[in-house]
Amino acid sequence: MTTLDLDNFETDFWKDVDKRKTWDEIIPGELRDTTPVTLTKEVIARYARGVGEDNPIYFDEGYAKTTPYGGIIAPPSIHILLMFACTTTEDWMRTPGTINAGQNWSYHIPIRPGDTITMRGTALDRFIKKDRLFAVHENTFTNQHGQVVCTGRGQTIRPA
Amino acid sequence: MTAQQQFSETNIGDVITGRNFTVMRETIQDFADASLDYNPLHFDDKYMEKTFGKTSFDGVIMHGMQNFALISRTLTDWLIPRGGFHRRLETRWLKPVQLGHSITPTATISGKRQTDKGFWLLFDIAVTNQDGDMVATGNSMAEFLDIIPGDAK
Repeated sequence: MTTLDLDNFETDFWKDVDKRKTWDEIIPGELRDTTPVTLTKEVIARYARGVGEDNPIYFDEGYAKTTPYGGIIAPPSIHILLMFACTTTEDWMRTPGTINAGQNWSYHIPIRPGDTITMRGTALDRFIKKDRLFAVHENTFTNQHGQVVCTGRGQTIRPA
Repeated sequence: MTAQQQFSETNIGDVITGRNFTVMRETIQDFADASLDYNPLHFDDKYMEKTFGKTSFDGVIMHGMQNFALISRTLTDWLIPRGGFHRRLETRWLKPVQLGHSITPTATISGKRQTDKGFWLLFDIAVTNQDGDMVATGNSMAEFLDIIPGDAK
């Protein structure tokens, strides 16, 4: 388990580019290499601010306690951050030119400060359509109690 | 109010209009710092001059997931005060969104459904740009619940 350190994240997506799987090398069903991360109140607040989420339920404990949620929660879309926070610099989702084509995500339990989230990610499928190389990725995020917090699937067009 | 009462106050056809959003270098940087997605598609003007297989772009593009987050915000800002729990969002990106473009998400209540255990609201999602072009489409589900799932400690 690692407390997410946003300030030391590798922002150069060209680094390790040669170690990443290309479309030809992606094996449907194979697990992606992931590490669990712990989301602090600060990380949640910073995510919320960055994506323009200004509902105080995401950063004001006093307010959040007065709601049915009983305390601060993360914006549901925080899996966007987890997708990169839980994976390595060698993960193919970082490959420059990876184009997002669409997504579907389901939410089961709100993520809260202090939660340690584990990602299980695979390529579910790959195909060629309209001359473009597609990969479908599928992800399940669980908390420290083993409960599924959210699941999602997306399609990316792979650099040719 | 019970979840059932809150659910009964929603109407098919109601339209929720999200806040307008204009893409700038700063908004792209903020989103990258929040999401940790530093793909050069969003930063590198030189890189964007090339073609990507069958696809080419006119300059850097907004993150697709920025669009996803804006739709998500539109839904939760409306749902949370009304007792609704955001359950699902499905999106398809139709057109790239570029620097200087302004986009607005809308969610239209398209259906209501009671199941054995829940009260469900269905939404049609559309995101349009400054020219009225649809840049994203999708659908969403929310549930009205008396108790929020999980352990509220």
